[in-house]
Amino acid sequence: MLPEIKYYKANTVEETVHILAQNKHAIRILAGGTDLLPELRSEKQNRKVIILDISSIKLLNKIEDEGHFIRIGALVKHSQMVESILLGRHAGFLTQASSLVGSAQIRNRGTLGGNICNAAPCADTLPPLVALDAELTLESSSGNRTELLSGFIRGAYKTNRANDEFLTWIRFKKLPEGCRSNFIKLGRREALSIARLQVAACGMIDSNNKICYIRIVPGSTTPNVFRFTEVEEYLLGNEPSERLFSKAGDMVARKMVEITGVRWSTEYKKPVIAALVRRSLQAIFNLKPGVAVK
Amino acid sequence: MQKKEHNVVGQYTGRLDAFGKVTGRALYAADRCFPGMLYGAVLRSPYPHARILQISTNAATRKKGVIAALTASDIPGARVFGVVVKNQSVMAEDKVRFIGDGVAIVAALTEREAREAVGLIRVEYKLLPAVFDVEEAMKPDAPRIHQGDNVFIHHKVRRGSIEKGFQEAEVILKRSYRTQRIEHSYLEPEAALALPLPGDGIKIECCAQNAYSTRRSVSEVLGIPMNRVEIEQATMGGSFGGKDEVMTSLCCRAALLALKTGRPVKMVNTREESFLESYKRHPYILYYKIGAKKNGRLTAIEARIIADAGAYASMSPFVTWRSAVQAAGPYECLNVKTDAFAVYTNQAYTGAMRGFGSPQVNFAIESLMDELAQELNLDPLELRLKNCFTEGSVTATGQKLNPGVSLKEVLQKAAGEMKWEMKRALYEGEKRNQDYIKRGIGLACSYRGVSLGAEGIDAAATVVSVQSDGSVIMWSGISDMGQGAQTAQAIIASEVLGISPDRITFFPVNTSRISDSGPTVASRGTIMGGSAAKKGAETVRDSMLKEASIILDESIDNLIMYNNWIFSSKNRTKKTSFSALAGECFNRGVKLFGFGWHKSPSTTWDEKTGQGQAYFTFVYGCNVAEVEVDTETGQVKVIRIAAAHDVGKAINRAGVEGQIYGGLVMGMGYGLMEEFSIQEGEPQCYNFDEYLIPTACDIPDMKAIIVENPDPLGPFGAKSIGEPATELAAPAILNAICHATGKRIRELPADLEKVLLDHKLKRISKRGSEEK
Ligand SMILES: Cc1cc2nc3c(=O)[nH]c(=O)nc-3n(C[C@H](O)[C@H](O)[C@H](O)COP(=O)(O)OP(=O)(O)OC[C@H]3O[C@@H](n4cnc5c(N)ncnc54)[C@H](O)[C@@H]3O)c2cc1C
Repeated sequence: MLPEIKYYKANTVEETVHILAQNKHAIRILAGGTDLLPELRSEKQNRKVIILDISSIKLLNKIEDEGHFIRIGALVKHSQMVESILLGRHAGFLTQASSLVGSAQIRNRGTLGGNICNAAPCADTLPPLVALDAELTLESSSGNRTELLSGFIRGAYKTNRANDEFLTWIRFKKLPEGCRSNFIKLGRREALSIARLQVAACGMIDSNNKICYIRIVPGSTTPNVFRFTEVEEYLLGNEPSERLFSKAGDMVARKMVEITGVRWSTEYKKPVIAALVRRSLQAIFNLKPGVAVK
Repeated sequence: MQKKEHNVVGQYTGRLDAFGKVTGRALYAADRCFPGMLYGAVLRSPYPHARILQISTNAATRKKGVIAALTASDIPGARVFGVVVKNQSVMAEDKVRFIGDGVAIVAALTEREAREAVGLIRVEYKLLPAVFDVEEAMKPDAPRIHQGDNVFIHHKVRRGSIEKGFQEAEVILKRSYRTQRIEHSYLEPEAALALPLPGDGIKIECCAQNAYSTRRSVSEVLGIPMNRVEIEQATMGGSFGGKDEVMTSLCCRAALLALKTGRPVKMVNTREESFLESYKRHPYILYYKIGAKKNGRLTAIEARIIADAGAYASMSPFVTWRSAVQAAGPYECLNVKTDAFAVYTNQAYTGAMRGFGSPQVNFAIESLMDELAQELNLDPLELRLKNCFTEGSVTATGQKLNPGVSLKEVLQKAAGEMKWEMKRALYEGEKRNQDYIKRGIGLACSYRGVSLGAEGIDAAATVVSVQSDGSVIMWSGISDMGQGAQTAQAIIASEVLGISPDRITFFPVNTSRISDSGPTVASRGTIMGGSAAKKGAETVRDSMLKEASIILDESIDNLIMYNNWIFSSKNRTKKTSFSALAGECFNRGVKLFGFGWHKSPSTTWDEKTGQGQAYFTFVYGCNVAEVEVDTETGQVKVIRIAAAHDVGKAINRAGVEGQIYGGLVMGMGYGLMEEFSIQEGEPQCYNFDEYLIPTACDIPDMKAIIVENPDPLGPFGAKSIGEPATELAAPAILNAICHATGKRIRELPADLEKVLLDHKLKRISKRGSEEK
């Protein structure tokens, strides 16, 4: 059962920061509500909850082309991202990730801002956004600040957001011309599936057929989502090959275990993340998917 | 006019209840409200096994809005109920037996007040040692959950000499299998609304699957006669066998609160409460030993089956009986020995679920047959065709099968549809490829006893009442939970009366309006309810034809009822519309009311020898599944599945296909992803975020093959489909996985980890979501 709710609604950024400033304690921001409502329902204590509904702020419901950059409002829904030609062209793996969120109903309500601020380790948009080095804008009554997404998320369900601020914009550089990207989500079923593992990767080769740009971000592997830069460095300057990609997969797997230690699921996740990384690289560099070459 | 064999029967007919459900106008129990209504809530045990030393409801009673708080000591009549073994408490009296066992109830003005008040009830417990593992629970020194042994059921089947059978064998395989506990996952959680009636009676509107057994228990618990307990079924949002005892206890609780307060009381479980307190499908451990000649002929089958019954007996005695009877599969084997046990443990109790003891044994015997085929280097289909029942076969319980044994037919039709031989060879060849995706094809078949069999008396009632304007009202003691029982019965009555089914309005089950028709279980709705509907309609038809013969001046033998008209086959001008005839009959005082009562042929069972005429008839089915296995991730994709079922006669083809499609998907969930895991008595999931069932996007291409060999014991030859439809997909899929990967999974479900690693991974740490 939902707790008793005191409900505010803000229609502009100004109203939002004003209400946030006045209710620093325990106010809960509601965008699409697809994370918030299930959470409220399962809360044990019967305390009254204060909700601030920001879903009607029109300003934050757009995707903007800023030349070299793209800016996405925090209230843009997954289904809007899927339909965006701009995103499809310059950040394909992000649209792919949004297209795999929940179900049609969830994608029609759930927002990018909510996905980020909820900070679930399995959130689907986080790996591609981290690969894009996305930067966030947070607004409060005392002004705004920007922070890299990778720093904003402090762990599972934990962020750097202060009580009186909220996320307004997500901004990143378009992928370089000729760069291909790919997102893989492994789940237990075809829809409404919490990711077991994810891989977001993008990359390109130079005129000598050497990898000159590469980003790899595994998801649901570690409490924080980040680029596996050692693996990226290992790949740079090499010619794409099965053997190279299998090796990269193994490196990611080993690194994962280094960070998390051996858990109940490691026996499964270790070989599988290695395979998914390999496949993701194969897809980007147009190699026929096949079995691992050891 | 060309006279077809049937006019309405065998067509694609829309469901009578479809419109209300699709438009959202159907009223479920939770949708209903009455003036002055109170809300009830339940306090449930946080411990798997504990003695109750003291309960204090004082603080709860003092709370604003609370009207009543009751415990077991407030129950005027019986404190326990149960259809087979009376040991389930409405509210725990002396001790609690699982996490979720009901302890006390509250009625308050609002739902919030009721739920908050429940938290104010103080219970002093003394913890008792608990047992969760069935095999632990079978040991003599295990904690006792009820009086007497934890092993409370032992069914035997004995045929021939098992020793001799294994001596004759040239190959012997010993294997063990395990199945998991699963949740019914009906869309509508349990709901009941109890209304006090003048004169100390009670009416309950609810979603009970078996209104009559619920009524019996409510009457015993309240200590009032059955004629003062009226149970009426609201529209039901699914059941799958799941709304029996859990609904009985909810109805008892709502009725107790309503009688105590003199006001209507509504009780609705949240999904979490439903997951916690409702019963599940039994997890089984199955030890099998099979003997065969080198040519594949079976010589002996031995099975030792242990069912985890959880905290209460529920339907375990009957579920395990069906398992015992069908454990050796649809195969001729002269030497069979089966022992099936049901054992109490301190966790959610297990009971009826679509399949009722067959999904578990089918998984075991059908996996084993594939293992044997591999051992003998035979094709799995060939091995089955060599051993399967045919006309005149005798079952493991010594029963000679009625004519119409169509096992070979369903096997060949399903295998043919899937191009079995070609694909078996093709995928075999592909194994050498480098590709990490491997394909496989597998099958499973079964025979299944229709209806209750030797479980008990088997009879049902349906009323057909024609109105003076030619419209028709029907009602029955067989419930419609969404499976289409009303539509099937309406079609049958329409066929008899020569009218279109849309003339019929069907009323839900009301225990005070029609005779006890037993439970709507065991795929007996159509064969029993349909037979009753046919008889009821025939009564009306006979009296109407007699009158028509006078009016039209034509002999009854020449009269035809067709398409809402009655006419002479000799002279087409001699005719009257059904409506006009109904009006005329009414004016002349002719009875337009037919009460149909159908009792099934009797069955026999000897508990000592494990032999008997277990069921009065059987159905036969086969599933063939084709899968793609990602050998690097363990992901399994069911590409296509064909199901051939001999239903006797399809009354409503749309209904039969619907049952097959739904059954296949449910069976697929059982095979691949569903698992209601309980650790140390604590459920590991409380909602559909973590309890996974297939979604629309997981549904494979499905082919329903309806085989019809009409059975003289069913209406227009119809038998059943509800449960057969779901009992074979899991073994067919797991056999296909093994064909693809070469690795045999002997424990359900075949999830990512098991497919990849060959063994189960147990979650030992907390989930990410709990680390929050
Ligand atoms: C059935 C179901 C399936 C799902 N499947 C997936 C899936 O496959 N993949 C996936 O990644 N997620 C999934 N989710 C989770 C959820 O839908 C997504 O995370 C979604 O993007 C959340 O967006 P929202 O707008 O609904 O967030 P809300 O629920 O409104 O908010 C989520 C959290 O973020 C905070 N918040 C929201 N917006 C802001 C803001 N602008 N500034 C500061 N704080 C903010 C809220 O206070 C809350 O704590 C699923 C959820 C459901 C119910």
